[in-house]
Amino acid sequence: MADKITIGRILRLLAISAKMDLVWLLRDTKYAILGIAGDMVNNVATVSGVFLIASRFGGIGGMSADEVMFMMAYSTLVTGIFIMFGAGNSIHISRIIGRGQLEHLFIQPLPLGVQLMTRGFNPFTGGGNLVVGTALMALAVNRLGLVITLWWIAQLIAYLITTMVIIIARSYLVSSMAFYAPAAAEEISSTAIDGTWFMSTFPLSGMPKYIQFPMLTILPEGLMAWFPALCLLGKPPLNLTAYYPMFFALAISLAASYIFKKGLRHYVQKGSNRYLSHGFRR
Amino acid sequence: MKKYLKTAHLSASEKTNGGIIYLFPDILIKIFTLIPLVYLWRVVMSSGADAGMSLGQMLTYTYVSALLADMLVVKTAASGWLSEGVLQRLYGRPLPVLSQLAAQTVGGWLPMLALFSLPMALISPLFGVRLIPASPLFFVSLLLCVALGFAVDFLFACLSIKLRSMNWLIGRMRMAIAAIFSGTVIPIRLLPFGMAEVMKYQPFASLGGAPLSVFTGVGDAGETILLQIVWNLVLWPFALYVWKKSQEGMVSYGG
Repeated sequence: MADKITIGRILRLLAISAKMDLVWLLRDTKYAILGIAGDMVNNVATVSGVFLIASRFGGIGGMSADEVMFMMAYSTLVTGIFIMFGAGNSIHISRIIGRGQLEHLFIQPLPLGVQLMTRGFNPFTGGGNLVVGTALMALAVNRLGLVITLWWIAQLIAYLITTMVIIIARSYLVSSMAFYAPAAAEEISSTAIDGTWFMSTFPLSGMPKYIQFPMLTILPEGLMAWFPALCLLGKPPLNLTAYYPMFFALAISLAASYIFKKGLRHYVQKGSNRYLSHGFRR
Repeated sequence: MKKYLKTAHLSASEKTNGGIIYLFPDILIKIFTLIPLVYLWRVVMSSGADAGMSLGQMLTYTYVSALLADMLVVKTAASGWLSEGVLQRLYGRPLPVLSQLAAQTVGGWLPMLALFSLPMALISPLFGVRLIPASPLFFVSLLLCVALGFAVDFLFACLSIKLRSMNWLIGRMRMAIAAIFSGTVIPIRLLPFGMAEVMKYQPFASLGGAPLSVFTGVGDAGETILLQIVWNLVLWPFALYVWKKSQEGMVSYGG
């Protein structure tokens, strides 16, 4: 019998995941700290590349070096939230599907969505980039002389949530392939998430429209940092409404939900035979 | 030699066994990363600031970096060999493990070279990119880059043994190196705050950034190749020594 799902129940599940994360940190501190440091170094290296170029050339495509830093801070915050909620392949869902591990979730007395939402929460070992992102954001805001109001902070949170929704929805959309081709599509979410991460740090300002528009629609990397950052700076690009990312997030979520459910039905009927008797994947 | 060619062939076939269609997402991502990157550099270089290289050289640098990405920062299956069960497979064959890894890795490059690099090289004039090396020494530099890449990769594999197979951490470190230290994304000579002078002597600069600078003619080919030779001479014996010491510490638990 499945538990009744309430906000309190979800918070308790998140607390269980957080507690397990803390236990790892306390029992295996050296390796946990190495993991945290690795995450932070990698992200700082990724975003600093673009920032260093902006510093070297005095800005990129009309964005000043400080505005580029603001965009990189936003990108780091997104990375931080992603890592904090994404442990255990909850967002890289094609790995779970492709490896035939959905069954592990089916036997739990909780809806699939609730499990996926709560099981990857690792605030202690996964929160490093969120801290770095917050510090970078404070620095960028200070250098740009932005006036911070409660409304601005609410907007920042709304954009961060929207960006996360787009990342997750796209991952689930493409991961639906793994229901039909578990071996071949096992890593498709890595292609969709990790493969595009670097691209999402590109400031698109100054590029031709035939590059900008596809990167806000077909391959929405412009919505991962560039568009929201410019909106938060009060300069929504391309004469689009500042709410465009929200509309896009809604559309891609609906598409992902439909396709994923269809794939799940196929999986439930056909199953997966990825494992050999001695444990290795086929 | 035949057995290594066969290993490479098997590795290439393995990538396409599920059908070429499953390589398309990776190919599309590579194309959709390369095109905006070309335009990004156009925008950046149009600022008029002195970069020490022309727009044409910069575009060529970026383009060649994308086409030869797998070779410029070598990644074998070794980092994941403890958790992915690769170890069991490699030790079960009557061939030296490191040579197998090298053959397997080179074979794994072929599908992407055929399906991404070759077509993109053919349409490079559309992007205003000239794909003729400034010096034939580029091929020597590329060879040294690949050789050094394997040594660095084996060292990372040993590190993963030392770190109880923390592939995630190793992967993140490698990505950081590729992003900043290797010069494959941003030419080291473009780094600000005096970083360029210091960074060009570190070993990772002898990976991708070295052949790319020789290809585009922005670096002193003689000095670049000399540095590559030095780092190969330093890191190969070190990698083999550490590898020999690390084998005893391997623990594999399958997938």
